[in-house]
Amino acid sequence: MEDSNSQISEKKNPAAKLRGVGDSLWVTIDAARSTEELKEELDTLFRKLDHLAKGARVIIDSGIRGENDKLVELLGQFLKENYQVGSVSLPPDNISNSEIRLRQRDLDRSWYQHSSDVLMLTGRVRSGQKINARKHLLLMGDVNPGGEVIAGGDILILGNLLGTAWAGQRGNTESIILALDFKPTQIQIAGYVAAGTSESSGKYLEFAHVENGTIIVEDYIEANPFGRLPWPKVR
Amino acid sequence: MEGKIIVITSGKGGVGKTTATASIGAALALEGKKVAVVDMDIGLRNLDVVMGLENRIVFNIVDAVNGKCQTQQAAIKDRKIDNLFLIPASQSDNKNVITPAAMKKFCVLLRKEFDFVLLDCPAGIEQGFENSVIGADQAIVICTPEVSSVRDADRVIGLLYAKSVQPKLLVNRIVPEMVERGDMLSHEDVVDVLSIDLIGLVPMDESVIVSTNTGAHLIQNNKSKAGQAFRRVALRLNGNADLPIEVPQAKKGFWKKIGFGLSRNK
Repeated sequence: MEDSNSQISEKKNPAAKLRGVGDSLWVTIDAARSTEELKEELDTLFRKLDHLAKGARVIIDSGIRGENDKLVELLGQFLKENYQVGSVSLPPDNISNSEIRLRQRDLDRSWYQHSSDVLMLTGRVRSGQKINARKHLLLMGDVNPGGEVIAGGDILILGNLLGTAWAGQRGNTESIILALDFKPTQIQIAGYVAAGTSESSGKYLEFAHVENGTIIVEDYIEANPFGRLPWPKVR
Repeated sequence: MEGKIIVITSGKGGVGKTTATASIGAALALEGKKVAVVDMDIGLRNLDVVMGLENRIVFNIVDAVNGKCQTQQAAIKDRKIDNLFLIPASQSDNKNVITPAAMKKFCVLLRKEFDFVLLDCPAGIEQGFENSVIGADQAIVICTPEVSSVRDADRVIGLLYAKSVQPKLLVNRIVPEMVERGDMLSHEDVVDVLSIDLIGLVPMDESVIVSTNTGAHLIQNNKSKAGQAFRRVALRLNGNADLPIEVPQAKKGFWKKIGFGLSRNK
């Protein structure tokens, strides 16, 4: 994995990149390169900055924290000597190690090994029929009036939801219920109950979630509940 | 001879199962098939009254299933149509006197005797329903354009699939004027939810009540729209599967027609 990464970056990415973050200069370096190469790259970058570099706060980000401290120190010294930068520091410590590891793992295409807890079904749930999913439920089809779909996690219906849907059965208030045509008889999320409406907007893709102890139905595209997650995450 | 056993069911009561059974049975018999209509509603028999045969009952289905009489003895010949027979229900027993196993055996006998056997299923999904469905090859689910009826039909369709009986849908009591005004579910709405093949659309018709009360056959009344719709259902069952399904249309008065024509010319 490491090898293929460095190969790609050799072809495409420069050894170091510079951007302004707040009141400081954020330098991202590729720790796999040789020190000489890095110094050369930093030279070209900081030469362009000229007097702007003087007294500036510089943050050197070498990717994984704690592993390249020596290299960072060396490069910091180099910058202080040659360009009179004010201070050199490591990236702020608000991202935890475990999170970085998680991010790394996700980006490493480790999804191959991930086995899913989603019960994925096709067809129509008719009146009197009951689908019980241990975790998430994905149904490509419809739920008729009188049909019941129950899940420990989320419920996604790619079709009409006219029956009853109970999500988050084990008290998971994060669960959502989504349907292409959202006209449920009743919905429950983690014990919160809401009576359905007979009319759906028809224009929007709607979903239900819990907010401040009540169930709220919103336009999914506009609310975009997962759009702000920084990277894909197992649900 | 291997006959076909068709159960006529709905889940909900009062949607027209008995009328449909009598009418489709009569129409099939007029096509020259030997037909038996069987009243499965033990304890609440109706089919004999609808067909005007209540005074001829000697043996009933309980006797026939439990071997107290021959199948032919329990089958009452219709007064007007030669090939049509009624096997009546017992009025004094309850539904548990017949077991599904005994009913299955009885269906084998019926299949040998008749071309078509129509079972008039009782409302509900209890023992009476189980008994009716156990030996059936095919089912006709009757549904009226009301949400309660659609809900029950949907449940029944699920149960029929679970018993591997192929259901077909008959939408009964359509009032085209109300559908046009948007006050009644259209047959498309019903089919959307139930999503099974349609076998017929039957309009609301006052002559149904008249013929039920007099014991006359609805399909022999050429003016009855419902009767003719049932007749077409029978033709579809009898091998004419491609016969197009007619959608009941609202009656338009003379002036309305003129107005319509003028407005289209604009």
